[in-house]
Amino acid sequence: MFRNQYDQDVTTWSPQGRMHQVEYAMEAVKQGSAAVGLKSDTHVVLATLNRASSELSSHQRKTFKVDDHLGIAMSGIISDGRSLCRYMRNECLNHRYVFEAPLPTARLVRQVADRAQVCTQRSWKRPYGVGLLVAGFDKAGGKLFYCCPSGSYYDYKAMAIGARSQAAKTYLERKFEEFASADLDTLIRHGLQALSASVTDGELTKDNVSVALVGKGTPLTLLEDADLEPHLAALADEVGGDGAGSGGAMEEGGGADGASAPPAAPDGASGAAEAAPAPEDEPPAPMET
Amino acid sequence: MSGIGTGYDLSTSTFSPDGRVFQTDYAQKAVDNSGTVVGIVCNDGVVLGVEKPIVSKMLVEGSNRRAYAVDRHAGVAVAGVAADGRQIVNRAVQEAVSYKNLYGDAIPGRVLADRLASYVHLFSLYWYSRPYGTASLLAVYDDDGPQLYLIEPSGAGHRFFGTAVGKGRQAAKTEIERLKLHEISCEQGINEVAKILHSVHDEEKPFEMELAWICEASGREFKRVPAELAAAAERQAKAALADSDMED
Amino acid sequence: MLPVPTSHSPALGPGCAGPSLAYASASTRSDIAPPSAQQPCCGSEPFMVDPSAAAGLGLRRHTDTPYVTGTSVLGITYKDGVMLAADTLGSYGSTKRYKSFERLAKVNDATVLGAGGELSDFQYIQTLLDELATEDYCADDGMQLTPREVYAYLSRVLYNRRNKFDPLWNSLVVGGLEGGVPFLGTVGMIGVHYTDKHIATGFGQMLARPLFRERHRPDMSEEEATELLHDALRVCYYRDKQTTNKFQIAKVTAEGVSVSEAFALETQWGYQAFVNPAANALGTW
Repeated sequence: MFRNQYDQDVTTWSPQGRMHQVEYAMEAVKQGSAAVGLKSDTHVVLATLNRASSELSSHQRKTFKVDDHLGIAMSGIISDGRSLCRYMRNECLNHRYVFEAPLPTARLVRQVADRAQVCTQRSWKRPYGVGLLVAGFDKAGGKLFYCCPSGSYYDYKAMAIGARSQAAKTYLERKFEEFASADLDTLIRHGLQALSASVTDGELTKDNVSVALVGKGTPLTLLEDADLEPHLAALADEVGGDGAGSGGAMEEGGGADGASAPPAAPDGASGAAEAAPAPEDEPPAPMET
Repeated sequence: MSGIGTGYDLSTSTFSPDGRVFQTDYAQKAVDNSGTVVGIVCNDGVVLGVEKPIVSKMLVEGSNRRAYAVDRHAGVAVAGVAADGRQIVNRAVQEAVSYKNLYGDAIPGRVLADRLASYVHLFSLYWYSRPYGTASLLAVYDDDGPQLYLIEPSGAGHRFFGTAVGKGRQAAKTEIERLKLHEISCEQGINEVAKILHSVHDEEKPFEMELAWICEASGREFKRVPAELAAAAERQAKAALADSDMED
Repeated sequence: MLPVPTSHSPALGPGCAGPSLAYASASTRSDIAPPSAQQPCCGSEPFMVDPSAAAGLGLRRHTDTPYVTGTSVLGITYKDGVMLAADTLGSYGSTKRYKSFERLAKVNDATVLGAGGELSDFQYIQTLLDELATEDYCADDGMQLTPREVYAYLSRVLYNRRNKFDPLWNSLVVGGLEGGVPFLGTVGMIGVHYTDKHIATGFGQMLARPLFRERHRPDMSEEEATELLHDALRVCYYRDKQTTNKFQIAKVTAEGVSVSEAFALETQWGYQAFVNPAANALGTW
């Protein structure tokens, strides 16, 4: 009956030295719609794709302000992400109370990652099912981190997570060397361009995109709805003029899509969600942690 | 692995009929699959070196740290699951702080190694937890001089003159055994470690090297090896490797 | 807590309506000792250290008085950064008990701390800051606490402890350099804190501050600043009996933190009044 007897419990190592439950939690990140992060020397930008589960409902928020110098974008089980967000806000607030200064991004991310690790080592817990892109600007400059359910975190120049993020990643990998010197508008545009690569049906509109940005002298700002229109308009112009860029990324997105179906995932779960992208950020039975 | 499929290898708190705890063996597997970590005790200090595969070109250089200071006089390099490693590092920091608060002095190496081993061992005892998938190389410079300890997922802790864990451990250990550790200083030591890490890294995949030391040159404080020295060691290691390839 | 009259506030005086104050005083409780030199009269209780001790309940007395103390700390900003000065005396009451106690301490590469008041509390504060500095060292991300952060942290700690009625009995001066700009601030034992271009704690507030007001400029050279501090220290030594003629000066500049060796200042005791102190006080000495 069981294909794999080592994947039932977070506290079980497989004979190969792997943790299947943790790997499955990483798959949960891919169930959510895409989130993109990228940085220049002066700014860090996050962009997320928001999907509503029906015409009648709103979408779930995926971009959050944590503090003036720090924001996050997430993909996966958003309720897990919100509880992490609350933790991060709390830590930032405490640090501000005690030191009257912003909490350095890297140190906060390490704390969050340590918290995530604990959930991979206790039988009564489950790992977080959410990936966080953390953008911050502090004494060390602009920072972009990816924090994943396993408790690992990575310091990136640009990164994309979530469903069909491989396409966005391909775009970023091709362009990220230009980002360092880019100005804010260009950076946002690159972010949106990358994000559009992970859209299969329809296009980016002010209703399905959120952007967060932070930088030197710029406190964390969320761009939504009307604020996005100039950027989306500029993006449309760009695509009209130079279709090769995004078109290429789209193709690769289609090719890479299959790769995101996890070989190790339990039957049903991922396949079903991929086929019906509507309730993406609401995986079955999210638990309170 | 005779444990597979017998059901004796599913829980941390289960012995197999021949007296093994398979879960700790499997955790050790996670260490054996990771990048190589090397530690040597030279005549004036300890050098730790880590081989870090680069998983993405968009990663910031020098990130994904594997060697951490836990106090001024002590540091840890971890092999295996990085997230697990950080917990062990955190515990080491806590132990160092609490020892200092209680006794007013820096924690001695053997005490720290002992306490860390006990901590790691704790996770190999109960059904509700899994053993850490991390081996830690602990470098300390205290009143007894420079010391190197290895703490394994089972909670075993040993003191070493030189050792290696991770993928390339066998070859690395052979190389270390050839060194006359009592005769070389840490300045030479970093070159040897760099050479070993480059020689055991056989794949074409890109990797980054992280070097840390604690010796007279670092003011008896656990520090990353200064960038210029590390770069020089790396160049020298590559040159040596190219030479030996020529001879082959 | 204790029964409290609500019709009037003893703090404001009879007949005045005011907030009800939850403490006992001689006017509300008969079992409390009447006002004395040690126990001021009605209305000052909120400003006393430990109301439970004042109420004669026999609780916690160990924070009532400091034991080994240091006196003033002086600090001024100048062209290249910040300078702090203090003597090295640890007084046991009026006894010059410890003559080489260093009251200026390096916190990290850009911050220095000076302390007056209970010196064991100062040593405790040093362990707190040392722990934070070690934390920064271990993080190894090139970041360390800025002087302003140290100052904010200390004000939180001291204010918190005062609210527990277990204060750290110190007047602290934090000096440092933050992005090339000098920082100078002080934190008191009840949590009062402020920054200024020049600062003095304790008796120095009366003795040194007037000199600073007269002569201090933010663009002083190192020589000028040193001379000003020497003069201020000399005045403190002449007029504050808790001071000894053994001083240190700490400096924070772009080069980092340095705390000087202890030194003595030249003093002049040859005044006629000193030679024959009884001359103008006939019949007393």
